Amino acid sequence: MPLFQSDAVTRSDAFKRAALGVLLIADFGPRIASATLGEPEVTVQTDVARAHASIKSLQDRATYRVHEIQLPSGTLMREFVAPNGTVFAVTWQGPTRPDLRQALGQYFDTYASAPRSKLADRRHVQIQQGDLVVQAGGHMRALSGRAYLLSAIPSGVNVGDLH
Amino acid sequence: MASMRALRSALILALALSAVACGGGGSGRGLGPPPPPPPATNVASVIIDPGPSSTSANTLFASITVCMPGSTTSCQTIDHVQVDTGSYGLRLLAPVLTLMLPVETLAGGSSLAECVQFVDGYSWGPVVSADVNIAGETAHSVPVQVIGDSRFTNVPANCSSTGGTQEDTVASFGANGILGVGPFELDCGNCDTVASGLYYSCTTTCSETTVPANLQVANPVTRFATDKNGVIVVLPSVAAGGAANVSGSLIFGIDTQSNNQSGTQTVLTLDGNADLLITFNGQTLANSFIDSGSNGIYFNDSGITKCVAPPNDPSSQIVNFYCPSNTLTLGLAIQGMNGVMVNNLTFSVGNAQTMFNSNFDAFPQLAGTNPITGSFDYGLPFFYGKRVAVAVEGDTTAVGTGPYIAF
Repeated sequence: MPLFQSDAVTRSDAFKRAALGVLLIADFGPRIASATLGEPEVTVQTDVARAHASIKSLQDRATYRVHEIQLPSGTLMREFVAPNGTVFAVTWQGPTRPDLRQALGQYFDTYASAPRSKLADRRHVQIQQGDLVVQAGGHMRALSGRAYLLSAIPSGVNVGDLH
Repeated sequence: MASMRALRSALILALALSAVACGGGGSGRGLGPPPPPPPATNVASVIIDPGPSSTSANTLFASITVCMPGSTTSCQTIDHVQVDTGSYGLRLLAPVLTLMLPVETLAGGSSLAECVQFVDGYSWGPVVSADVNIAGETAHSVPVQVIGDSRFTNVPANCSSTGGTQEDTVASFGANGILGVGPFELDCGNCDTVASGLYYSCTTTCSETTVPANLQVANPVTRFATDKNGVIVVLPSVAAGGAANVSGSLIFGIDTQSNNQSGTQTVLTLDGNADLLITFNGQTLANSFIDSGSNGIYFNDSGITKCVAPPNDPSSQIVNFYCPSNTLTLGLAIQGMNGVMVNNLTFSVGNAQTMFNSNFDAFPQLAGTNPITGSFDYGLPFFYGKRVAVAVEGDTTAVGTGPYIAF
């Protein structure tokens, strides 16, 4: 269900489209979960509306679609959509993390309660809990990370390319 | 090895020279041995040990003294504050802080609190004002974060939603505090104009807020009277297999005193994220950094054997470290934004399991996989056997303008 067709989305376009997204959400109402990872593509719009963010671009790659969402903090979030319409990965890069409770949805608690390294370490996250993988690195003012579902990665996609 | 030996010789020479400089200008008073020279007021001792939670490796600690603003008597010295060139500002764990430092207030009278984000989690607590003393330097009335403060127990949902672990105890933090002396002044680049999820205005509840720059948590070095344009970390070489309780120096200022001269150091300027370029295995990795607050060498090379989780701890995070059967020596090049490149550097990767089985806490060859793409994270091992200068954004030294790293 491609909501957008163009790679070159202007600011005003993005605003109109974000507004359209809000309308769609209003239309679908309670049927839309407030999550993204593992959820249908339409929840991308929920993220945009809740974060007061803007869609920066939409790119169709060979095996997946990428929504780029610019957050007011300066952080760039990307949501990766498989051909079946499921968000299979979320990435972030910028001064602060996005709302991961929103972005990871039902997987957030698994992430937040995953066992930590026994070694004191504030710089690296490498978690695999069942289907969920979360990897994060960087340092203050430049945090990067990604979360994805192993079972949902479309064939032919290299996880290392998701950033 | 030859280059390490050369570095060590250079270090010994530098120390000898600085000792001569410190001892110079004697008064020639009377007979008997001269009094020992007073410790330089811009040099703090640092140590690498297991830390207050006995869970640290390759972690640099210093002691700092905080005082009530304007006071020289109402003070507390706190040991095992991590020295971190990859963050900005002083943060102290409330359980070790007995001094009731005053909370910063915003216009309108609300209290200022922060949800600081580290890669693996967040820490919540008020921003207070303190005079910060380290070695002979003082930063007056600098904003400092107190983590886990009993006056601010309700973590806002927007803070906990940034995810990861809440780190508000010494055990979960692995230190009594953290001293961010990286190459920027503030812990946020745009919080004066954007409510970006770091700062909160608190009355009965807390909500995200913008905050004037003078109230944001700041690298205390930038608020010293002198010696404020950066820091120099000096650590000895460490044996390949590791060592216990390695000590070194944290020198304040660059080219401001006889003991912090740049000399012939190579300057690599940093980008707006304090990152630089590291080329490894033929790939140039743009999100790379050199950082005393990272405890190893983190990079990706699928050809190196990773450690295996023990049968009794199948979810052990040791699987993210490298465990080659023989020590590997690998090459890399580091390039600054100024185009200056240092080629022909080497680093070694040892067996992390062997290291963790030892009683040591300083490991020059501790390496693991990097969780993010396009990044070489060169942590504290980079600093062993080196004199590494970190210059603050916009400040000048004899050899350049920050942000830069020089060695």
